[in-house]
Amino acid sequence: MEQMQLIKRTLEIRKGGEKAALATIIRTKGSTPRKTGSRMIVFPSGRIEGTIGGGCGEAEVIAKAFEVMQKNTPCQQRVDLTKGLFFEDGGICGGIMDVFIEPI
Amino acid sequence: MSHNLFAKLEESIKNRKDTFLLTITDHPDKEVIGAKALLWPDGDFCTEASPLSSDVKDHLIAQCSKLVIKKRSGTVKFLCNDSIIECFAEYFPAPLHLIVAGAGHVCEPVAEMGRMLGFFVTVIDDREDYANRERFPLANEVVCQSYLHYFRHVEVSEKTYILLLTRGHKYDVLSLNELLRRDHQAGYIGMIGSRRRISGVFEELQQDFPNESFDNLYTPVGLDIGAETPAEIAVSIMAEILKVKNQKSGNSLSAHIKKYAKMGFHEGAGKWNKCSS
Repeated sequence: MEQMQLIKRTLEIRKGGEKAALATIIRTKGSTPRKTGSRMIVFPSGRIEGTIGGGCGEAEVIAKAFEVMQKNTPCQQRVDLTKGLFFEDGGICGGIMDVFIEPI
Repeated sequence: MSHNLFAKLEESIKNRKDTFLLTITDHPDKEVIGAKALLWPDGDFCTEASPLSSDVKDHLIAQCSKLVIKKRSGTVKFLCNDSIIECFAEYFPAPLHLIVAGAGHVCEPVAEMGRMLGFFVTVIDDREDYANRERFPLANEVVCQSYLHYFRHVEVSEKTYILLLTRGHKYDVLSLNELLRRDHQAGYIGMIGSRRRISGVFEELQQDFPNESFDNLYTPVGLDIGAETPAEIAVSIMAEILKVKNQKSGNSLSAHIKKYAKMGFHEGAGKWNKCSS
């Protein structure tokens, strides 16, 4: 079950003593690449597991995830994908999503 | 999420129970943000090591009830003791139960694909040489039992998908005889077979059951994609199961959009052509 897989990974990562952050889409409006509940794990190196849709929206969340790891406190990030059709990064969605980012 | 809570979530899903995972995503007390709990449709509630205050807990359960009824994930925001609390409630649906009766050639790829697609897969056959773990390492459950006994006692609901891939039409008849007389009908029953075999089965059952009983019976099984080999047949069967589960047409997605594509999608059309060449 894909939904469980990334949660399970967070347990393994914590057990291994590694630092990382978990990002979860908790709310979407309009057309977004992935649905509520999609997850992504971000490591300090910038490596990711899972995806919340790719593109610059994901990059924003990755940047925010570094902060979360540093401060060790969770936060929320709103990702706005309404910038325009065929935007240069190839994102063609037109929605907004809220992402909850928590340290692992 | 704590190991303990994760284990509970895993166990709950394994027991085919719908479960909600709650995460506090906003709270005036920063320590509470990220706290997790599990909520079941019957009202059962379970928190991590640091329990939430009983006020918050009651509010949470009440606020999440809409989502529980609708069986969907969502975020709720509410006022509790003058503070705004936000909670993300994620729905973990109990997996659908796929029962494959008849552990022959077609059953192998079907069981495998069933797992791939997130079903809880049970393989049942009355022959030990067929219904065993070596042949079905991926199935959740392999049962060696008479079809009659199994289908008389197994729990059936709209979340149960049944495939009759048995070796002979008499096994189909006695399985259907048990299944069609149930108070709760399966969401899907697919029966493999030639026209002759199918008409034989219907002949034997028709006197005993009204026509509506056969509404959820799909036979011959699968979508019309010219499947020949066991793997191809499995694709055809699983595609039909998804079509029923998702209540879709089973047509090619391109059928609707092709004519628009020919006219050229506005600004993107040029780019698409370049990419594909």
